[in-house]
Amino acid sequence: MSSKEFHPRPPQPEGIEIPAPTSSPFTCAFGLTLVAAGLVTQWVVTIIGFMLLIIGAIGWFREVHPDDQEEIARIQRGPLPITPRTSKVKRLMGQERHRQRIPAMIHPYSAGVWGGIIGGVVMAIVATIGSLIEHGSLWYACNLLSATILIGVESQTVEQLSQFSTTSFVVAMIIQSLMSVLVGLIYGVTLPMIPRFPLLFAAVFVPLVWSGLTWATISVINPLLQDNIDWLWFIGAQITYGIVTGWWIINTEKIGTMQNWSYLERVGIESPGIPEQGESDE
Amino acid sequence: MSTMDQKNQGLQSHAPGATFATRLHEWIATSDHKKLGVMYVTAGLIFFLIGGFEASMMRWQLSWPGLNVVGPEEFNRLFTMHGTTMVFLVGMPILLGVANYFVPLMIGARDLAFPRLNAFGFWLFLFGGLLLYYSYFGAQGLYGMGSSPDVGWFAYAPLTEKTFSRGHSTDYWILGIGISGFGSIATGINLIVTILCRRCPGMSLMKMPLFVWLMFIDAILIMIAMPPLTAAQVMLLFDRWLGAQFFDTQDGGSAVLWQNLFWFFGHPEVYILILPAFAYVSEIIPVFSRKVIFGYPLMVAATIAIGFISLGVWVHHMFALGLSPMVNAIFMGSTMLIAVPTGMKMFNWIATLYGGRILLHTPMLFSLGFLTQFLLGGLTGVMLAVVPFDWQVSDSYFVVGHFHYVLFGGLVFSIFAAIYYWLPKVSGRMLDEKIGKWHFWLLFIGFNLTFGPMHVSGMLGMPRRIYTYQADRGWELWNLLSSIGVLFQIAAILFFTYNVLNSLFRGKKAGDDPWDAWTLEWATTSPPPEYNFKEIPVVHSRRPLWDEKHPEDPDWKYE
Repeated sequence: MSSKEFHPRPPQPEGIEIPAPTSSPFTCAFGLTLVAAGLVTQWVVTIIGFMLLIIGAIGWFREVHPDDQEEIARIQRGPLPITPRTSKVKRLMGQERHRQRIPAMIHPYSAGVWGGIIGGVVMAIVATIGSLIEHGSLWYACNLLSATILIGVESQTVEQLSQFSTTSFVVAMIIQSLMSVLVGLIYGVTLPMIPRFPLLFAAVFVPLVWSGLTWATISVINPLLQDNIDWLWFIGAQITYGIVTGWWIINTEKIGTMQNWSYLERVGIESPGIPEQGESDE
Repeated sequence: MSTMDQKNQGLQSHAPGATFATRLHEWIATSDHKKLGVMYVTAGLIFFLIGGFEASMMRWQLSWPGLNVVGPEEFNRLFTMHGTTMVFLVGMPILLGVANYFVPLMIGARDLAFPRLNAFGFWLFLFGGLLLYYSYFGAQGLYGMGSSPDVGWFAYAPLTEKTFSRGHSTDYWILGIGISGFGSIATGINLIVTILCRRCPGMSLMKMPLFVWLMFIDAILIMIAMPPLTAAQVMLLFDRWLGAQFFDTQDGGSAVLWQNLFWFFGHPEVYILILPAFAYVSEIIPVFSRKVIFGYPLMVAATIAIGFISLGVWVHHMFALGLSPMVNAIFMGSTMLIAVPTGMKMFNWIATLYGGRILLHTPMLFSLGFLTQFLLGGLTGVMLAVVPFDWQVSDSYFVVGHFHYVLFGGLVFSIFAAIYYWLPKVSGRMLDEKIGKWHFWLLFIGFNLTFGPMHVSGMLGMPRRIYTYQADRGWELWNLLSSIGVLFQIAAILFFTYNVLNSLFRGKKAGDDPWDAWTLEWATTSPPPEYNFKEIPVVHSRRPLWDEKHPEDPDWKYE
């Protein structure tokens, strides 16, 4: 015979059953804490805690046996009805069955590479002009750039830094080329994500943040180099790079992404009847 | 008392015009997951203020060389209590509180599976925390004076042995944290059972909101990670009280054993704390980008992978210990490996933002703050995974900067995002947007000003936990900047406190669904009734409210 037969359920008032409030968990927890607290205070605290723990446990047991103690919560005002909206998720071009998850048109990665190369060249010109004006030498900025890798260059005098060095020139060319292309590639990927004023982001925000980071960390990374940098020209060169690369990328024609392709097109299966890449299947 | 009598009493207890004592009893005796959630978060925020005060005192002391705002003993107590408080009494209760409140609502349930166990878990946490702080008055230090624990939040052996830690301060740490730990385990069990057994019709595992998935994995991690800590604490108690020698190196015990046991808890604990942050932003970013989360199945897989891998990286906290190169290499690899699923999540959040109609409301600002700062914290984490680099900066301020970027820049920013997002549901009132933006920008500036320079001072060799330093080390500027950042943070917290208190009494009415969101908690009133839903909802997709709002273009057609 089940326990429910000993406790027939009375007629239900208007409402929803929820667990009845009970102080047993509170009593149990307090008791357990006092048991522990007694170890670092007085043994009598442990005794009191233990008694509370037992009282709480018995109370808890009676809460759930033979049936859970419950109370009736009155039905309150319900939520306002949900009204249908008119907005709709964009579809992939010409494919009503497929939602567009991310923008379907992006700048090609090659725009970032080319933008980076052109920006890097212009940046180098600006830095060289700076060297010429400040130090009367075409090679000062080039030598400083090489000092990020070459040991000993940073400790040279201004006169030494103004001289042409084949090693420094080659190293600086490699650094400038690699960094320009890499940053251009990052610009190419990130600029389409910027919702507003992407050129401002490319030409001002990123160069200033990068210059700030360099300024803050150069004393740790290379303290000797810190004394030889012309910061105004440094920032100017960074901004020039940002303007040129950003402008180039933004003005490149966007291309469709693989989102528009069918699965078969993506995996490269060619067969009669399969539409061309990006062509609608409807 | 008969069942009917109790039912009538229950009805009467909700009558209007109840006295203060009646209302107090209602909160003490409640087993309602929402009230317990509110109590968890409120207690966590109060401990946050206390922990913040402790941190501010430390920054004041370190703002300039040779200051004597606090002495070395008090400084030891401050960093111990700050770390312990922020991890165990702020992070844990807030994550459990938010989960308590919203998991049942999001899965269309009326309560957690074990409501009384839930109340027990909360009270254990609270009493554990109070017991820890009672040490300021009750613990007898070396000279018979009251003192709080001073052994650091990870309480390394053999410093915690009776020989080195006289009096009861370390015992208070063991007992207080142990009791809170029992509470966390109780709530972890509750969350797992609730999520597995109480989901509304139609909500298969792969139709659960990501929030629920993340809290599910989080609860499993709690279940796995907390018991070793409790066991280690009991062993330490045996050492201190019964003359056992588990960690007593003078008697053949092993200090490394404590490190292994603690960090087997301690590193999953980092993920226990950060997975809820992922949970909050995984709900907030889609709503404020007006797009569905990108790559839901991959997000679920990444969550499971993070949970799994996080159990096998703990030795990276012990690289400086002198373990074998093979062990170091294995744990370096596993630590780097965890960056992969975390990176997947990053890319998916960015892809969710990409092309979305981004609304820069306060919850979104905090979420974006989380993304950038957690990314930086994650990257320095990868740097620290490299053993030779770790050897160079181990126990330096670089590490302090790193984990604050993860836990403050990540977790705390996401908690504020969650509060701005969900408090309207809890209280029925909106927080002020303008004050919220002041709060965000002040905290953003203050946080980066405080913790960014710590990377530099760490690289310059400043060890953590020193209470002062000489003026010739080149650390002055960086410490001064860090301390100035605290002033910004204090201002931000004042704005936040005012905003919350003001909104509770004078805030604009929120309505049921102020953000035009899509998960089930927005389908009931603000605040929700005790029973959550008059009728248990039936769902067909991961965004049931989207389906209701867009009957011509429901999600279930595409999932």
